Amino acid sequence: MGLSAAMEIGKNGLNIYRIATEVTSENIANVNTQGYSRQRVLLESAPPTLHNGFPLGTGVQISVVERYYDGLLQQQLVSAQTTQGFDTSRSTVLQQIEPYFNEVTNDGIGTAISNFFGAWQDLTLNPGGTSERQVVITRAQILSDNFQSVSKGLNDAIATQNATLVPLTDSINSTLTNIAQLNGQIKSTELLSGNANEMRDQRDQLVRDLSLKIGITFTENVDGTTDIRYADGGAELVTGSNAGAFSLDQTDPANFVVQLTPPGGALAVVAPTTGELGATMAMRDTIIPGYLAQVDTLAKSVVDAVNAQHSVGFSPTGGTNQNFFTPLGTVAGAAGAFSIDAGLDISTIAASGNALLPGDNSNALAIVQLNSTYTVPSGAPTATFSSYYSSLVSKVGLDVQSSKTTVSQDEAFTKQLTTLRESNSGVSLDEELTNLVKYQRSYQASSKLITTATEMMDMVIGMIR
Amino acid sequence: MRVTANMSSDNSIYNLQQGRAKLDKLQNQVSSGQNVNTPSDDPISSRLLLEIGDKLRAIDQRSGNINKATSWLQFTNTALDGMSAVVNQAKKVAGTLNTGSDDPAIRQSAHDQLVDLKKQLIDMANTQFGDQYIFAGADNTTPPFSNTNNNYAGDSTQLSIEVAQNSVQALNVTGDRLLKGIGSNPTYGTTDILETFDNLIAAVGDNTTPSDVNAISQAAVDLQSGARQLNIATSDILARMTRLDNMNKLNENNKNTLLSISTRVQEVDYAKLGVELSSQKLAFEASLSATAKVTQLSLLDYL
Repeated sequence: MGLSAAMEIGKNGLNIYRIATEVTSENIANVNTQGYSRQRVLLESAPPTLHNGFPLGTGVQISVVERYYDGLLQQQLVSAQTTQGFDTSRSTVLQQIEPYFNEVTNDGIGTAISNFFGAWQDLTLNPGGTSERQVVITRAQILSDNFQSVSKGLNDAIATQNATLVPLTDSINSTLTNIAQLNGQIKSTELLSGNANEMRDQRDQLVRDLSLKIGITFTENVDGTTDIRYADGGAELVTGSNAGAFSLDQTDPANFVVQLTPPGGALAVVAPTTGELGATMAMRDTIIPGYLAQVDTLAKSVVDAVNAQHSVGFSPTGGTNQNFFTPLGTVAGAAGAFSIDAGLDISTIAASGNALLPGDNSNALAIVQLNSTYTVPSGAPTATFSSYYSSLVSKVGLDVQSSKTTVSQDEAFTKQLTTLRESNSGVSLDEELTNLVKYQRSYQASSKLITTATEMMDMVIGMIR
Repeated sequence: MRVTANMSSDNSIYNLQQGRAKLDKLQNQVSSGQNVNTPSDDPISSRLLLEIGDKLRAIDQRSGNINKATSWLQFTNTALDGMSAVVNQAKKVAGTLNTGSDDPAIRQSAHDQLVDLKKQLIDMANTQFGDQYIFAGADNTTPPFSNTNNNYAGDSTQLSIEVAQNSVQALNVTGDRLLKGIGSNPTYGTTDILETFDNLIAAVGDNTTPSDVNAISQAAVDLQSGARQLNIATSDILARMTRLDNMNKLNENNKNTLLSISTRVQEVDYAKLGVELSSQKLAFEASLSATAKVTQLSLLDYL
């Protein structure tokens, strides 16, 4: 061991602190990069050599450049994100639907029903009055507009959910492909040299993004790759560098069917229940159709009850058996088909209960009283028109309220997990700056070592002269 | 726990967002003056509010019914008053001639007077409210009585209107019950007032025909019971008007009760909101100021 060894140690130091500075600069540059995990240089003393009978170190060397990563946290984040993805998209859609039922500040079906029967009340006072008859028809028209508008709004919402499946599955597929590609790159990079930290960060971020959209489980393999399985059914989505793909069977344009082709497997229909995809399916297939069915039930009951009473009454000219609303076949689609019967006009409204008495109001009175009798649903009535509608509004309100609450809980939970992740893996500028100063000083010291060794060497050479 | 600048800023954003959302909700309540602006604000209360709104509309409708019905009954009452006056007038004529008269001029004058009175009676029985003949029952588009004969052309249906939920009130008095003394439920008497008039006119005689004293006194007795018949009908009308008046008061009371419930649920307490708003504003300002101060701290400033 001579002076050259000291110079060698100094040169090593310069090299290593340059690398440490590079790692620090990488951290600083990525302070705002989503999903980036801070990296650190682990230093260790180089293997000692025996010199003059003493083991002396040969300087410093880099053991590894590692990233701060907590696998358990990643698992928790993935499952929390799936729940949040489901709840958030459900809440968003529900809040879009809520205005259709907001009778608290606007008028809607409930008011239209009261006003319709109010017009019949007016008719009981003057059964032959042209203006009273006209008001009944106008109120019925407004009621029909209200039913049709709500029905159209809900059907549009269903169609939108269906259409959303296309971009959603496309985005899932591209994420799956990217994860598979990164898996391949990580594997080949790490076979050659060290850790592919940045690529792992990117892939882990993609896995978290994916978990918002669908429920997944993943396993991290020894070769650096991550395998992903679908939580709904357990089919494989990514194995190594092979990705599966979702596709849509668009045979029924109003009702796309989601299918999955696992890597190397065969196409199969899946029933997503988790994440944004699950929420979209649930909104399309259950939640919105549920509201629509109730609106339809109400519409059908109004039509059935009013028609039944109206057709036994008589018009001023003695005409009878006239429907007030167009008769409806099935409950499904009733609100959309709600309309005034083509044969009805002011001369065929049946207010009288007797063919020979145009001034009789008994049938009008009987129709008025439908509003306070149990008429909904048709066949097995358990509610009045207005109480049925109020409970529907209240149900929508409850659903929206509870979905808002779950979303804020999810957000708080995810935020807690993200904070934990940030605490572990996030870049702290203060820390990096401190490291930078530290490495700068160490670099200076290493160069001082070289100059000192050079001076000593000069002295030795001078002695020879 | 290790804390990074990004964590602080994420936390700040989250908390600022929460504060902003609370402020926004308070602001919305203050500006709308309502606690419940969408069903999801309070689903249970919104159901209550909807049901109250529905009941209030029904009460307003019934108040409208009652007002119109009251006008109808007032018309009826006026017509009945007029009819009573006519019958009393005829009674007076019969009274002055109760022993007959030998003077053809007096007989003729009494005859003409009675014929005019009967015409008046029939005009009153053909009173219209809007375009409906109020004494014609359900067949109320044509006049129920005419001057050519004593037949009733209307019908005996009692028209009803709803004055409270599932509670109806009969509206009209039919001409047959009133002037012909037939029909039941209600019945006012059995005197055919029109026939009595004709009898009286015949009994009084005219400038050529002598009076029939017995027939005059019989007609006077019949007119007396006819007047009673009209009085009973009048008291029936007055009783109906009283009921409508009571129903109206009841409706008003119900309306006030419902309105006060709805107000209690729906209207905001401005004092309470004001205090909440200012404390929330203070909290928000504090968090803004803290965020501004903390996020500026960096080692960079000191290196």
